[in-house]
Amino acid sequence: MTSRTVSGTANVTPSGIAVTGVSRSFGSVLALRDASLTVPAGSVTALIGPNGSGKTTLLLMLATLLTPSTGTIRINGHDPVTEPERVRAVMGWMPDALGSWPSLSARAALQTTGRMYRMTREQATVRADELIALTDLDDFADRPSRVLSRGQKQRLSLARALVHSPGVLLLDEPASGLDPAARTSLRQLLRRLAGEGTAILVSSHVLAELDEMADAAVYLADGRTASPEQVAAANASARTWRIRSLDDAALERALTVPAVVSALVQVLGSDQLGTLVQVHNEASAAALLHNLVLSGVPVCDFGPAVGNLEHTFLDLTREARDGIAPTVEKASK
Amino acid sequence: MSASRNRVFLTGLWLIVTLELRQRVRGVSWYVLLGVFMLLVGIVTFLLWLATSAWMSGGGGVFSTIIFFVLLLGTLVSPALSGNAINGDRDAGILATTQVTLIGTAQLVLGKFLAAWITALAFLAAALPFLIFAVVLGEVSVGTITVSVLVLASELGVIAAVGVGLSGILTRPLFSIVLTYLVVAALSLGTLIAFALLGTATQQQATSVNYNVVSSTFDEQTGTQSDIVCSTAQTSTYDVPRFDYYWWILAANPYVVVADAAPGSFDTSGYPTDLFGQIAVAVRSAQAPPELFTEYNDCDVAAQGHEDRGLDSGPTAQETYDAAVPSWFIGLFIHLLLGVGALTWAWRRTRTPATHLPAGSRIA
Repeated sequence: MTSRTVSGTANVTPSGIAVTGVSRSFGSVLALRDASLTVPAGSVTALIGPNGSGKTTLLLMLATLLTPSTGTIRINGHDPVTEPERVRAVMGWMPDALGSWPSLSARAALQTTGRMYRMTREQATVRADELIALTDLDDFADRPSRVLSRGQKQRLSLARALVHSPGVLLLDEPASGLDPAARTSLRQLLRRLAGEGTAILVSSHVLAELDEMADAAVYLADGRTASPEQVAAANASARTWRIRSLDDAALERALTVPAVVSALVQVLGSDQLGTLVQVHNEASAAALLHNLVLSGVPVCDFGPAVGNLEHTFLDLTREARDGIAPTVEKASK
Repeated sequence: MSASRNRVFLTGLWLIVTLELRQRVRGVSWYVLLGVFMLLVGIVTFLLWLATSAWMSGGGGVFSTIIFFVLLLGTLVSPALSGNAINGDRDAGILATTQVTLIGTAQLVLGKFLAAWITALAFLAAALPFLIFAVVLGEVSVGTITVSVLVLASELGVIAAVGVGLSGILTRPLFSIVLTYLVVAALSLGTLIAFALLGTATQQQATSVNYNVVSSTFDEQTGTQSDIVCSTAQTSTYDVPRFDYYWWILAANPYVVVADAAPGSFDTSGYPTDLFGQIAVAVRSAQAPPELFTEYNDCDVAAQGHEDRGLDSGPTAQETYDAAVPSWFIGLFIHLLLGVGALTWAWRRTRTPATHLPAGSRIA
């Protein structure tokens, strides 16, 4: 349980993040065309999109650093453009670029950040110690931050975003550079913060990670957030499942029997981890498993070959790519 | 209410100042630099003491030269230390993480400026023992000490402000550092070059009329001339440079500002006793327009006797100094305007949320 050293203004209006029709252009380049999303308090939302889709631009606008060209943003009810200070008091931001004052130790950097949020020296010292324990930085806390490894800097950056116990947390690629143990503790930490009422928006490429911690996902492609219909369609599209059996021969045999394999299932082949089949939907996957077990195949592993988010992500980006494919191919030749 | 807001502002400002100082100044290399500087000033002081004791009494010469030396070193080092204060932080990814906190843009820019100024003032502090030595040598007035140290400190502040300002205006640290050096060079050397070139390029025709003694009888006993036969008017024309049109350019030179601001100190025969006075006299004498028409009647002089000719040697340095307009406050005002302008512009460019991004810049 983290003690909230800064009085919890964050929880007075626990409305989280609301983005409506936001666009942003840099000169003639439209980085963001039409983004809308909500992150309710007490939940983790994943922000997913290919490189250059506008994720970082969107996060910069939420973090009061950029003004949107059009559209509105509310962070706990406050507008980052007209009331940046109110937003900053309740918002923590972990950037994708890992910078820390090179000659300051992690502890000094956290204390300084606390003082920047108008804590007293004592409050900042206490809070820095808490965060060092929270992010497992004890062994490196007193070394200058320029000697920290990428993963350690990543944890320092996360700790800095948490200094003032923000009610809204924006994380840009928080898991990159972390070892598996640190990823697990990151996931647990974010879940716990969400449990305490924090609205968390996480952008990441490690989709399997997000699958496990996100309550909801926002897909960003080509500067637009995907509509719920698009997401539903992508989710429902045929996807690949992987089957592993203790008896490969028996599995292979069973998959050739039409009574076992319905018309909605297509055998794709096998990789080193098992046999891949494409199933139309989850119902046909369930039917396939049922039939395999009935025909006596010792199935020990049966599941989607790619995670939910990844599947939707790939499907949506394929859509986007196919939409503009002709011009892209011409340009590349 | 407003008092507590001021307190919050000042606390945040001081936080940025200390953070900057810890960032930039901490470390062995900084103290090595200061040590080298002290060694240089020490050598200069010793040599000056040997050199000037021959022709100057007191410590005025040593004092003024050390002040100029601090200004020189300050202008050489300060741009490198201040010229990447803001864009360097942006490159290192630590600007935006400060901007999302409750530290405002004004606190950030002003804090960085104050830190850069304090850093430059460290050079003045390091030169303090030698300045005290010069004062101990004697004949340095309290006015000279106070004014020259204050004006020197302001000039160092102006350079720090220009450096920090340019680092907020330009995106690339290398450009802003180089441009800060160019500004320093333009003020220190550019003004001299512009003054000399413009003055000599603006030539005007001057006329002089002479009446010469053609023949006379010289009485050796009385030493006077009689029967003087005078020539007709001998008119000659020649071009003179008009430096008096351009003397104000020199007012923008930081060395001139420091020199001109110090109260003039002259010996009994009207000669300046320190470097400040010499420079100030030179600059102020440029204010006087050249005489475009001179008439010289040798016959009159001959009739009055030769002894009187020696009196016509022109005004003394002190008279020139006193007759001219002091220009240092104009120069200082221009410099302060430059510094404030640079900081204001930097503040506008660094403000968040940003509506406009310079091409190719990354906000984080």
